[in-house]
Amino acid sequence: MNKILIIFTAIFACLFSAPEIKAAEDSHGESKLDPKEIIFEHLGDGYGWEVPFNHHKRIPLPVIVFGSDGLHIFSSSRITDGQEYVDGKTTFKLAGKDSDFKGKVVEIVDGKELRPFDISITKNVCGIFIAVIIVVGLMLWLRSYVNKHGYKAPRKGLGFLELLIDFIYGSVIKSTLGAKSRKFAPYLLTVFFFIFIMNLLGLIVIFPGGANLTGNIAVTLVLAVLTFIVTNLFATRHYWKEIFWPEVPLWLKFPLPIMPAIEIFGMFTKPAALTVRLFANMMGGHMIVIVLTLLIFIFAAVSPVAGGATTVVSVLFSIFMLLIDVLVSFIQAYVFTMLSTIFISLAQVEEEHLKEEHDHQLQTK
Amino acid sequence: MELFTPDFGLIFWMFVAFAVLFFILWKFAWPVILKNVDSRADLIDKGVEYAQNAKQQLDSARQQAEEYVAEARRQQAEMLRDADRIKTQIIEEARSAAQVEAQKVMDSAKVQIQQQQKEAEQQFRNQVSEFALDIAEKVVKNQMSDKQAQTKLVNTLLDEIESKN
Repeated sequence: MNKILIIFTAIFACLFSAPEIKAAEDSHGESKLDPKEIIFEHLGDGYGWEVPFNHHKRIPLPVIVFGSDGLHIFSSSRITDGQEYVDGKTTFKLAGKDSDFKGKVVEIVDGKELRPFDISITKNVCGIFIAVIIVVGLMLWLRSYVNKHGYKAPRKGLGFLELLIDFIYGSVIKSTLGAKSRKFAPYLLTVFFFIFIMNLLGLIVIFPGGANLTGNIAVTLVLAVLTFIVTNLFATRHYWKEIFWPEVPLWLKFPLPIMPAIEIFGMFTKPAALTVRLFANMMGGHMIVIVLTLLIFIFAAVSPVAGGATTVVSVLFSIFMLLIDVLVSFIQAYVFTMLSTIFISLAQVEEEHLKEEHDHQLQTK
Repeated sequence: MELFTPDFGLIFWMFVAFAVLFFILWKFAWPVILKNVDSRADLIDKGVEYAQNAKQQLDSARQQAEEYVAEARRQQAEMLRDADRIKTQIIEEARSAAQVEAQKVMDSAKVQIQQQQKEAEQQFRNQVSEFALDIAEKVVKNQMSDKQAQTKLVNTLLDEIESKN
């Protein structure tokens, strides 16, 4: 309960502190409001982590790049505000607004900007590590409880955690995968809790939250690809037969493999759907809150009265949206896990099972 | 659009982070937790089954107990009836025995009375005869004062004896 309170307090604090940040920004001379810039800055990745109440100071994070002459590791504070950083013979800087690599680290070779091989610990990477630490911490906490107390039911926070595990394991994984649930449960539960924690971290505006993790297509892509790998790696022989030689009239698969082509296409649409669904849902939620907050400044530029009125409405709507996002965080993690479970179970079909179903259908007809 | 182009560095770290997370949880957390969840589910299932069995047993036990109680009532009633019958029988027997005894006593009393009566009669008779003899003696003494009368009587008596024989 206390933790939830803290989360909400943080959300409120940030909502109400937002005007101050922007006001400070204005006084620094960036008088012209560029909503698009602000939205994408908040949704995107970065080489440092913003601190509350100060738009210029950032927590520096390590930049790791493979330049033209090898590995370079340096702090992101060295390249802030358009500074150029010279490491040995190579020069690095953050690409400007007009560059193709806007906001990314680039290597300057003969006056041209080249994008090095970049595996920096960016804000999002750091956020992912924090999410990993939280999930591992929670699960090891539960593990130590289980080791200590056996199957006595935990209370309070751990009770909620176990309730979630029981819910996902019992009503999603077990009911879909049946006897094979123990084999795939570790992957699916890991995915669920990782996504859930990342979603919630995204809703907390200040460090250690604030990184738009699941609203980033790279993150959801990796998760979807992992589900794709698990699905196809453990697929039964019958699943592959259904793809390359399905039970359809011969002309549909030979000489032109129409059905196999469609089936193979279907293999890849599933992870694509997973990627886009989670990404779009989470990014949409974040974007709405940011836009609602920005409305205050857009209207304040028109007239102070309009700005004041919009503040009340925007803050109320933002709170409402953030509360809905808490729900969406859970629902999207749940949906991702459920769809992964279904995709995996579809690849676990056995021949006899299908035959039985087919016979049953014939009988009912 | 920057948002729609996945960044390689992020993909790389995401993959590494997920691999590490999955390995740790797969190795240390999930086996213990899932085993616990499963075993608890089993325990609950068993508990429910046990409770159902227990309820069934309790129901049958209750039924049996009711049967026993009914049986006991029946036996009790029977016993009471038996006792009643035996009581009346005993009373009857006692009564008849008493009657017999009383009859005996009465009979013996009757016999005794009769005997005593006889004895009394005998005594009375003896006395009467004694009195009679006394009286007769006295009468005879008075009458037999003169000789003639004596002879006359003797003769009369002798005549009588003679006529009897």
